[in-house]
Amino acid sequence: MATVNEAPRYAESDEGFRTEEMILNMGPQHPSTHGVLRLVMTLEGETVVHCTPVIGYLHRGIEKILENRTYMAGIRYMDNSDYLSPMLNETAYAGAVEQLMGIEPPRRAQYLRLITNEMQRIASHLVAVGTYMLDLGAFTPILYAFRDREGLLELFEEVAGSRFNVNYMRVGGVLHDLPVGWLQRLEAWLDTFENSWKELDVLITGNEIFMKRTQGVGYIDPDQAVAFGMTGPILRASGVNFDLRVNRPYGAYRDIKVNPVVREDGDAFGRYMCRMYEMKESARLIREGMAALPGGPIGTRTPIALRPPRGETYFAIESSKGELGIYLISDGSEYPYRAKIRGPSFVNLQIVPELMRGHKMGDVVAILGSIDLVLGEVDR
Amino acid sequence: MDLIPTPANAPLPPASLSTVVQPAAAAQALVVALGTIHTGQGNAVPTRILPGNIPAIEVAPEQLVDTALHLRDDLGFDLLSCVSGVDLIEQRQVVYHLRSTTRAWLMEMTVNVPATNEIDSVIGVWSTANWLERETYDLFGITFAGHPDLRRILLDDEFVGYPLLKSFRPTPLTVHDRATTATNGARALAGDTQRGIGHQRVVPSHLSQGDQERLHPGTPTFGSTQFHGRSFPPQTWRHQPDYNGSGAESHEEEQKK
Repeated sequence: MATVNEAPRYAESDEGFRTEEMILNMGPQHPSTHGVLRLVMTLEGETVVHCTPVIGYLHRGIEKILENRTYMAGIRYMDNSDYLSPMLNETAYAGAVEQLMGIEPPRRAQYLRLITNEMQRIASHLVAVGTYMLDLGAFTPILYAFRDREGLLELFEEVAGSRFNVNYMRVGGVLHDLPVGWLQRLEAWLDTFENSWKELDVLITGNEIFMKRTQGVGYIDPDQAVAFGMTGPILRASGVNFDLRVNRPYGAYRDIKVNPVVREDGDAFGRYMCRMYEMKESARLIREGMAALPGGPIGTRTPIALRPPRGETYFAIESSKGELGIYLISDGSEYPYRAKIRGPSFVNLQIVPELMRGHKMGDVVAILGSIDLVLGEVDR
Repeated sequence: MDLIPTPANAPLPPASLSTVVQPAAAAQALVVALGTIHTGQGNAVPTRILPGNIPAIEVAPEQLVDTALHLRDDLGFDLLSCVSGVDLIEQRQVVYHLRSTTRAWLMEMTVNVPATNEIDSVIGVWSTANWLERETYDLFGITFAGHPDLRRILLDDEFVGYPLLKSFRPTPLTVHDRATTATNGARALAGDTQRGIGHQRVVPSHLSQGDQERLHPGTPTFGSTQFHGRSFPPQTWRHQPDYNGSGAESHEEEQKK
């Protein structure tokens, strides 16, 4: 006979069933965790009571590596941070060094950065949407998404020499100028992308199963989103109009104005829609950047050994996932004294336990996919 | 790689783009607003301007949470972007980068970590600080008083040391002779490695099939039949009349040498 002080081993559910808490380990090798993320979940029946993310399986110590590389050589290691948007990572690091040295890249370089950054944003969002649908059980959209992304990667290969780890940005500009006919091929890709965007939209948006699984799932309050430091599409999907390209424009975004995509939904569906329409907006920005692309040099002349003056600075850009900031300290030598990467995925992952709580087991994947994590950036 | 000529419809470039991300006027307004922050002794906190027009203040560890609340509630710094540890060898620092989603402001707040290596947690002010402070603890060893869950986050729980400290060494400083063919960079410079001093030579206990055939031609080797852990050739082969035994003898001579 149980005494009064003894905690009940079983909880009584509303339907009168007896349920018991269960600990479920998801990952680190799980296809829906987008890398090596481990979630330790406590389940009460099918309901998630508690969720603890365990990260660090992909920790390579990029910040320590950057301290042991010269400023130019460190740019290459930024590719591996968020491996789905290397162009954006490099822009952040190069921009931080430029801000510390007080140099301004030529306008053509800034426009090339804008064009490649927006291409990378489309590529990243295509992977986000495609793999999200893969998580939810629809296989077709990822084929559409990767087909379109392949065109972008081919263009990257032409301009930078590499599809994926591009190593294209340099302190004071970019590495190469555009090859002959590249802008025409980009324009042709944009024309086809308009149609494929509609295909993707028709395929996913409005699908009843998709709407049922995403609407009202993983709702983030605007205040909660700000308190948890959410940035990027997650913040904008919660109704907060905050985009670093608009609020603190850098580079060519001072000339070309961005219309931020803001939605009031705050749920997984809103985040998906935010990414979809950001792709459209990015395509528009690429067209504007191409039309206004100035001539001239693609880089300022910098000394071979970059020695920024002693000091510190913080430079942040709007990456595909949110605010990507670099905190850089220079001691006057060729090597950064400290280089801190503020990765948006790392901060965005923090809210996942809050979102999971109270949801059913089946919604876990729907919530996790809507955050759009890249574990390379979480673990660095 | 040819330069693309400027298209005819491209607009003329403006005279000069502003070189800073934060406009000077916004930075000045922020500096004025930051003048309201006072130290415990009643002196105004000095404000520096970093490259990129980022105002930076330095607060005492005792004033951290009060200042943070003031910045969040009165000045509108509602977004904590970044928490970074810095090891200045004689001094450790924790640097906070704060943003305002309503005012497009960015500022930096520095705290010098006292000798106790512990400062207050700002998790009650910004929920973001949870993992960011855990990361700072993980890589710098700075503890945060009041943090509910201060564990290692990126590294193993069993990891010894704090890798982003300047005093951290990835390998122990005493290098023992290792039974390996890998060379240590420092030793390779000394030339000891080339001469084989201080390194144990690693000799395979048995010959692989290819080496067996090369060194002792005529020895029958049958695919995977490699006689691992046994003397080669087996005892039964020695007394076979058809087998000339040359391979076995030469192998034994090798063994004796």
